[in-house]
Amino acid sequence: MLSHKKPPNIIEIQDVRYSRGKRAIFDGLNMNFPRGAVSAVMGPSGTGKTTLLNLITGQLVPDDGAVLFDGKVVCPCSRHGLYNTRRQIGVLFQDGALLTDLNVFENVAFPLREHTRLPEQLIRQIVLMRLNSVGLRAAWQRMPSELSGGMARRVGLARALVMDPKLIIYDEPFTGLDPIAVGVILRLIRQTNDVLGITSIVVTHDVAEAEMLADLIFLISEGKVVASGSPLDMQQKASSMVRQFMQGLADGPVPFHYPGTSYADQLQTMSRT
Amino acid sequence: MTRSLQACWVSFSQFAATFGGFQMFTLRLLPYLPRAILRPRLITEQIYSLGALSLVLIMFGGFFVGTVLALQSYSTLLEFGQVDALGAFASEALVRELGPVVTALLFAGRAGSAVASEVGLMRATNQLAAMELMAVDPLQRVIVPRFIAGVVSVPLLAAIFCTMGVLGAYLVGVHQLGVDAGAFWSHIQDRVDLFDDVGSGLFKSFVFGVSASLMGVYEGYYAAPNAGGVSRAATRTVVITSVWILLFDFVLTGMTMPGV
Ligand SMILES: Nc1ncnc2c1ncn2[C@@H]1O[C@H](COP(=O)(O)OP(=O)(O)O)[C@@H](O)[C@H]1O
Ligand SMILES: [Mg+2]
Repeated sequence: MLSHKKPPNIIEIQDVRYSRGKRAIFDGLNMNFPRGAVSAVMGPSGTGKTTLLNLITGQLVPDDGAVLFDGKVVCPCSRHGLYNTRRQIGVLFQDGALLTDLNVFENVAFPLREHTRLPEQLIRQIVLMRLNSVGLRAAWQRMPSELSGGMARRVGLARALVMDPKLIIYDEPFTGLDPIAVGVILRLIRQTNDVLGITSIVVTHDVAEAEMLADLIFLISEGKVVASGSPLDMQQKASSMVRQFMQGLADGPVPFHYPGTSYADQLQTMSRT
Repeated sequence: MTRSLQACWVSFSQFAATFGGFQMFTLRLLPYLPRAILRPRLITEQIYSLGALSLVLIMFGGFFVGTVLALQSYSTLLEFGQVDALGAFASEALVRELGPVVTALLFAGRAGSAVASEVGLMRATNQLAAMELMAVDPLQRVIVPRFIAGVVSVPLLAAIFCTMGVLGAYLVGVHQLGVDAGAFWSHIQDRVDLFDDVGSGLFKSFVFGVSASLMGVYEGYYAAPNAGGVSRAATRTVVITSVWILLFDFVLTGMTMPGV
């Protein structure tokens, strides 16, 4: 009943242009992330997936266009406004980005201690509940250096959830994990999204996991969305770019060779110096 | 020729850029300082890890500098028949010069480099970015407590260094070289002035403490996020801080020496 006032998309990316130096990373990027869904953002390495996340969280500012969170422009112009937005977004870094001088419990408690004045008793309850939901309640005293990669990511997830965010963003959550840990993370992302009723954005280049997990897949390449749709739609897309990526072919519209001068030219110019 | 000129120009402009960046960083920290007092726990934790863990090194250093001072000055003083002034000589040298300078150099090597690499590693492992994304300002949470802790620690450590130094001079002078204990202490009492000597020593170590701590957090905060960047940050902290300390010492000695 309340939801009719909110825009249907939690994040809207409108005509975003962003360059690093002279190279345009995004040029006219448009994306809508629907509320309540798990969306996957896919693309070859170096296309700017992490850059996209940094634009959403306001760590980077688009050269042109706008990023909207809950209908409001994300803008680092006011630190207060930006921090207000960030408090509603949980981010899970690739390696968890746990604070190495705090133990697991204190890592998860960190946002609560920084932002609230809750009594210790309550903090303990919230933290243990979050740790329990990622299956690591018993590891509360461990230091981050004593955790495996998958465990560190689960602690990172518990920490990202502790402030009850509306949106949670995962950057490459499956990279470098063993198959069991991948399965655990996969289930946790889905469960978290559905049980807590939040929205999730998963950045990944793992096709199989994205197809299992996501309600909606965006494929970005060369600064634009080249295809989007449900996993089933994506499988049936005919475009060669989509086929190359979804089926993992070495050469295609995304060339095997890093762009540059021809082989012969390079041999000549390099022998001259 | 033009190449070496060019190289000179590049390193000069890099230096200027670093210095400018450093000043900007310092200005950015200022508004955070008053608020930092509201969370003394963060500061005392850092005083423990920076100051208290440098303690053994500082005591060791102070003690041996004191003994060497006594040994070195003894023969000269003997020649002029002034061995009773051994304590006064050693303690004045310690309080005015050696205490602040050597303490700050040891602190830069032990704690300044540790801060630079710790903060640099937090940068490299995305911990600072994670804080930003949790809407926690790393300048307030990480940088300022370490800075204040350094500024508080260095003068205290210098005082301990001097105390240990005088103790070392006493042991060597009185117990080994046979200086009269009463004369040793009474000369110190006569010669060392609370305001002139202790005050100027404290002022120096405050300035050195500010430089060493600022440099450590600055280099760490702007370290390139990789292994090379972190180690470079630690090295630069020690080198630049040491140069500064020696330069500042010259300037401050000129300013505070009576009758110069
Ligand atoms: N700090 C930076 N400075 C310059 N270029 C960068 C920087 N970070 C990323 N890039 C460039 O931006 C492009 C996109 O990077 P990124 O968003 O990390 O890609 P992805 O996460 O999709 O692998 C890459 O080609 C990379 O070279
Ligand atoms: Mg990336």
